[in-house]
Amino acid sequence: MRKIKDSLKIAGFLLPSYSIFFVFIFFPLIYSFYLSFFHYSLLSYNAPRFTGLQNYITLLKDPIFWVSLKNTMTYTIGTVIPTMGIGLFMAIILNSKLKLKNFFRTAYFIPVVTSLVAASIIWSLILDSTDAGLVNSFLVQLGIPPQAWLSSSRWALFSVIIVNIWKNIGYVMIIYIAGLQSIPEQLYEAITIDGAGEWEKFYYITLPLLKPTTSFVFTTSLIGSFQVFTPVYIMTGGGPGYSSNTIVNYLYQQGFQNFRMGYASTIAYALFTILFVMTILQKKYLKAEEVLY
Amino acid sequence: MKKFIWYFTLIILALFMLVPMLWTITTALSHDTSTVKIQLLPNNPGLENFINAWNYPSQIEKGITMGRFFFNSLVTCFFITVLSILTDSMAGYILARKKFRYRESIFFLSIATMMIPFYVTSIPMFLIVREFGWINKFYGLIVPFIGSGFGVYMFRQAFLAIPIQIEEAAKLDGLSDLGIYLRVMLPLIRPTIATMIIFKAMWSWNIFYWPLLVTNSMDMYTLPLGLTLFKGLNVTRWGLLTAGLTIAVVPIIALFLIMQRQFISGLTAGAVKE
Repeated sequence: MRKIKDSLKIAGFLLPSYSIFFVFIFFPLIYSFYLSFFHYSLLSYNAPRFTGLQNYITLLKDPIFWVSLKNTMTYTIGTVIPTMGIGLFMAIILNSKLKLKNFFRTAYFIPVVTSLVAASIIWSLILDSTDAGLVNSFLVQLGIPPQAWLSSSRWALFSVIIVNIWKNIGYVMIIYIAGLQSIPEQLYEAITIDGAGEWEKFYYITLPLLKPTTSFVFTTSLIGSFQVFTPVYIMTGGGPGYSSNTIVNYLYQQGFQNFRMGYASTIAYALFTILFVMTILQKKYLKAEEVLY
Repeated sequence: MKKFIWYFTLIILALFMLVPMLWTITTALSHDTSTVKIQLLPNNPGLENFINAWNYPSQIEKGITMGRFFFNSLVTCFFITVLSILTDSMAGYILARKKFRYRESIFFLSIATMMIPFYVTSIPMFLIVREFGWINKFYGLIVPFIGSGFGVYMFRQAFLAIPIQIEEAAKLDGLSDLGIYLRVMLPLIRPTIATMIIFKAMWSWNIFYWPLLVTNSMDMYTLPLGLTLFKGLNVTRWGLLTAGLTIAVVPIIALFLIMQRQFISGLTAGAVKE
């Protein structure tokens, strides 16, 4: 009797959150896989029709999917590497005993608390393709012709990348500062006695001891950037053409503009597979090494 | 010399980080905004842009102001934050303290939810919410997010760090499990609760993709969706546009400046050990 009462109590504590997991995460994950084998249009009253692997075959032959995948990869590399590089550099500078360092830390963190939608619209104004945009009017004053930042295939993806670098530097910097503060001061003192300069300190102590931080930041930014949606949706809509379209945007277009639920589920599973493989590879190769002091 | 280069780099980057916001605010405060200028101080400062921006949505649909979007966002944000902290901490407490069969597997399930990208499940989620009749309802905006694997994980960690003796003493005093959880354990993990409040509140305040799917009538728009109305605006109305953005962004920045520590620990939750 007591045992049953205990089990009920345990279930009562677990159920509120776990029922959400089952209804809105695990069931959709399976249902999405199921749907990926169906032709299912929300625009018609026809029931979903089983089409076997047809969606997957269509996907592999779909040039827009491949363009979107390529753009997503360009975008990911283009945001993750500069953000981490600048973030680390700023963390090192701001971890020293500079005056005003708190001011700069705060300043760099402001974009992190700015909503991505607002940030994307603000940057759309700044990068406006006419002469009226802030960047273009500045270029004109310097005698450089204005560029179509958002409406040319040459610059559209680049503009989206800039916004994300702007938004994420502060976050990466704060995490690196936390990592830097966990490095014992004695290590630097020891290597200084051995006659090492700034660069040696960085290369032989800072960088290796930051490896767990780097590995964490790299993985989370990689997975995060691969799922970019909002800035693309707001700034370029994936255009011109599909020159800045990304996978999640393509998923959205197929699912919620064309209402092809089956095909959109197939895109979702392609995305899931890619992210899953990335996670596994990261676990295998970038496993954070134990650091012994 | 090194100091000089450092400061130079810091200032250049600070300009890159701050100029977009400052430009937005000064333009919003300016009177004449038919042409865009790079200016530090607003010319002819006034607040009429803000009044126009606040009322701008009513030009598209009668009776709706930005106040409506704020209200929708506040309701969504409040309920997601409070309810998910409650459910996550309940599950986290049981997983940290009770011994029962399949405990490890059950805990693994909440870790697994973190590996499943939201976009991958968004199509069935939408179909389910539609089936429930929750399109354009607060239920649709709130219920899918009143529990999270990340929250369960964070709260379990927090409870594990509390000495078991405290609980045993409370038990001797005759408190029930629910009493121990509510009156002894929750107050002890206040820092984690604060961190999670910021994390959840910021997340739910800014979420864009999901409201885009489940709301299509303007009176249910949350603030991020409402802001997109300003996007299609003719760019010559810089004042109106920038005022709308300022109204949406400045309150959060002000909160951040007041509670920097909490914001930083909330937004880096899971990445940085407390």
